[in-house]
Amino acid sequence: QAPLVVKMQTSWNDANIWQEFARDYATRVEEMSGGRMKIDVLPAGAVVGAFQVLDAVNDGLIDAAHSVPVYWYGKNKAASLFGTGPVFGGSATTMLSWFYAGGGQELYDELTQEIMGLDVVGRLGFPMFAQPFGWFKGEVNTVADLQGLKYRTVGLAADLMSKMGMSVAQLPGGEIVPAMERGVIDAFEFNNPSSDKDFGAQDVAKNYYLSSYHQASESFEFLFSRTFLEDLDPDFQAILKYGVEAASTANTAKAMDRYSADLQWLQNDAGVTIHRTSKEILDAELKAWDELIPELETDPFMKKTLDSQRAWVERVSYYELMNSPDYGLAYDHYFPGKVKL
Amino acid sequence: MTDPQVALMMLGLFIVFVFLGFPIAFTLMAMGIGFGYFAYFDSSRMWRAFDRLDETASTWDSWSTWIEGFLNNRIFDLFVNQTFTVMSNEVLTAVPLFLFMGYIVERSNIVDRLFTTLNIASKNLPGSMGVAALITCALFATATGIVGAVVTLMGLLALPAMLKARYEPSFAAGIICAGGTLGILIPPSIMLIVYAAATNVSIVRLYAAALLPGLTLVGLYLIYIVGRSILQPSSAPRPTKDEVPDMPMLKLLWLIVTSFVPLAFLIFAVLGSILFGLATPTEAASIGALGGILLAFLYRAMTWQRLRESVYLTIRTTAMVCWLFVGSYTFSAVFSYLGGEQVIGDFVAGLDLTPIQFLIIAQLIIFLLGWPLEWSEIIIIFVPIFLPLLDVFGIDPLFFGILVALNLQTSFLTPPMAMSAYYLKGIAPPELRLTQIFKGVMPFLLCVIISMVLMYAFPQIVFTLPDMFYGR
Amino acid sequence: MEIYGDIMISFIRFADGLSAWFGKAFAWLIIVMAVGTGYEVFVRYVLNSPTAWALDVSFIMYGALFMMGGAYTLSRGGHVRGDFLYRLLQPRTQAKIDFVLYLIFFFPGVTALIFAGWKYAARSWRYGEVSAASPAGVPIYQFKAVIVAAGLLLFVQGIAQLMRCIIAMRTNEWIEASEDVFETEDLLMREANKAEKDHLS
Ligand code: NA
Ligand code: NA
Repeated sequence: QAPLVVKMQTSWNDANIWQEFARDYATRVEEMSGGRMKIDVLPAGAVVGAFQVLDAVNDGLIDAAHSVPVYWYGKNKAASLFGTGPVFGGSATTMLSWFYAGGGQELYDELTQEIMGLDVVGRLGFPMFAQPFGWFKGEVNTVADLQGLKYRTVGLAADLMSKMGMSVAQLPGGEIVPAMERGVIDAFEFNNPSSDKDFGAQDVAKNYYLSSYHQASESFEFLFSRTFLEDLDPDFQAILKYGVEAASTANTAKAMDRYSADLQWLQNDAGVTIHRTSKEILDAELKAWDELIPELETDPFMKKTLDSQRAWVERVSYYELMNSPDYGLAYDHYFPGKVKL
Repeated sequence: MTDPQVALMMLGLFIVFVFLGFPIAFTLMAMGIGFGYFAYFDSSRMWRAFDRLDETASTWDSWSTWIEGFLNNRIFDLFVNQTFTVMSNEVLTAVPLFLFMGYIVERSNIVDRLFTTLNIASKNLPGSMGVAALITCALFATATGIVGAVVTLMGLLALPAMLKARYEPSFAAGIICAGGTLGILIPPSIMLIVYAAATNVSIVRLYAAALLPGLTLVGLYLIYIVGRSILQPSSAPRPTKDEVPDMPMLKLLWLIVTSFVPLAFLIFAVLGSILFGLATPTEAASIGALGGILLAFLYRAMTWQRLRESVYLTIRTTAMVCWLFVGSYTFSAVFSYLGGEQVIGDFVAGLDLTPIQFLIIAQLIIFLLGWPLEWSEIIIIFVPIFLPLLDVFGIDPLFFGILVALNLQTSFLTPPMAMSAYYLKGIAPPELRLTQIFKGVMPFLLCVIISMVLMYAFPQIVFTLPDMFYGR
Repeated sequence: MEIYGDIMISFIRFADGLSAWFGKAFAWLIIVMAVGTGYEVFVRYVLNSPTAWALDVSFIMYGALFMMGGAYTLSRGGHVRGDFLYRLLQPRTQAKIDFVLYLIFFFPGVTALIFAGWKYAARSWRYGEVSAASPAGVPIYQFKAVIVAAGLLLFVQGIAQLMRCIIAMRTNEWIEASEDVFETEDLLMREANKAEKDHLS
């Protein structure tokens, strides 16, 4: 019996480490199904463009997609709240837990299936590390330094950065470096040291700013055609769904290993200067969120979602923060003078 | 039949169908949809509603539901999705603007002025008229991205002048045909934008990379023109005072200033701002278009009629190029969904070619394709098939693109589809025979081949400028 | 029989006129595009405060322009063909080939543009989709509807092309669209031919 082949397209190029993350999911699914199911992982553009995977899954052009919700926030701004929303103090792990245990999944289903009437089922996985403020040609220390820059980001972060005086373009990862070369943008962020390195960020900018509130939590979105999924036998459905949870741990381990190694490479071998984003800019980001949140809350669904997130973070992060020892203290104890926060 | 075999059949049939002479955009569209229908055929999904009808359904209901099932193939959605991808392609936005700029500049009498001036300025050189004609073509190539107008304008202007000066007719014709084709190689070339959009190579790098090869080719052409004029003076006699009048230095300077400087400024604004990363190609193209209108006004050549012509021609040429993309995006999505790229890649990898062998074969295929097909079809349809193979052989797609651009110069000059030659024949005096034109073109073809060999031997010619402007 | 010929010719004229009207109307977007992008250049590089919308506007103008120009280009025979064999054939034979290919190559795709395009645009319209290229919130649902409009124009023009084929099969002569603009090279070649004819007569 030939295995059932699931056509899954990602929003990433072959060179991006995230393509490997998607294949990690495929490997798990294939092994768990005893080889009866196989995932054909296609890069962005193989069938449709990086930003078009939601339409494509809905229409059944592909059976599944590996992407992030912010890529379709043009269709409904609320999409961002499941990707990179306002930061109330929770990490990506906090927010992924909101999705599975705090009512996030139900709100997500309401948005995609009821409000937008889409034929998709979505799952989130892999709590990403906070995303760097990004890559700049010169140093940026103050909010004034940012004025008039054309900056690439996506989702609500785009609205946020516009409020901080930058002009924002949203592009898929594979188009960032060509856009820098063409002069379409002057600065950008994508996601993490490895992906950034993979598409050649270090060739077009030399100042890399870590730490930011613009996308402090995000997860991958695994999209399935609902018609396709519900036609499968229950065990296959379960493998596809729980495979997301399995890949989440595998991705986290790989990300810790590779992201940190690539950060070292950028610093030591590629001549990139690593900065911490200044307190002034971080403060301005929080103030910009303050302006943005009331605008978002004029929409009843977004209000409902944000209320749910706030309540979750208020309770959960209180526990997390109160409970957490000062890891920085311990690190400094054993590796003195390495990090200056 | 396996899916990859079907993909190969799709490609083979397409090549056959091209020769039926139907508009290629729609042939591609049809092949994409037809084979896509097969690729996405899934009877349980398509006829799900039919299968779920209960027994009470009327005959009409069951028939109409069955037919709906027949049309419920996902290829149609893929086609629309790909169409929208072309519509929102940011690189291609520069196409209509550069076309518009070219059409405006064509109509601004600039060619006449340039040629007249250069003709006087160069009159003491051997083959002076040929040199003036070629340089006019090269300069004009930096203001337009297409071929055609330059050949005919120069054919009306420079050809009679050269014939009157008793130039060997085939020599004169060759100069104009070859010079008139430079516009698609020298930036802002529409062909390079299309190559960038078809291969995802950075357009600004391509522009930077094309500059020196373009100049090299112009240099080779000049060497040939001057060399032949020295060795065989009868083929390019010195013009008499009658044909090219003497002119006081000051007046000549003034002519140069008025004919050359505004155009040079425009070209510099456009290409300079792209190369120095000051503006995106689309932004630069808008400056070029607005600047072109201003220039035409200054030369008192701008009329309502000419503006309208430029506007209407822009939409027609843009539609011609971009509908090809609409067809080819669907075609190649289906081709790759069926695994066609993979199987071609495996086949070529299995041939055990060295990179140089591969490069020669690829360029030979493109050269041959250039006989029956135009550059737009070759770039949009066939280059993407070579693209994954470049990786296998470690060839930079940027380098390959420049070789293709040089190579396709020949597609305008070689029969049976030698458009440059036909344009010239169309406006030349009837005594000038097509065979004479082809004879005159041959040495220039040789120059193109020499320039390709030079690129291969000294890749720095291609890489120096893009590396200098954009690093790496 | 003649009456059908007249009706077909009137329809061809109607379709050519319709395609040309829309094509020419949308052609003027090039001016909007040049001026709009020119404005962006000014505010971005001179005033250091780029617009948020320039990117969206430029691709919307470009996309609408070429899509709506498709039928106009078709009516004027402007879509490139691999015609080095085709143009050696009699118009009658050309017409037979074209007739079949319009039916099996052209209409399925164009019909898909209309119906599948409608589904695609309607969905976008339903959630009031805005461009994801910038946070300016530039709507693109109306832009997606251009797919349907372009499909409709091509459909009408396609019927006219079928009629052209039928007439050419009978008369062995193609009916050309009335023309008002030419590429410089075509214009000059026509003038040269005309001068030659005048000279001979
Ligand atoms: Na990001
Ligand atoms: Na050019």
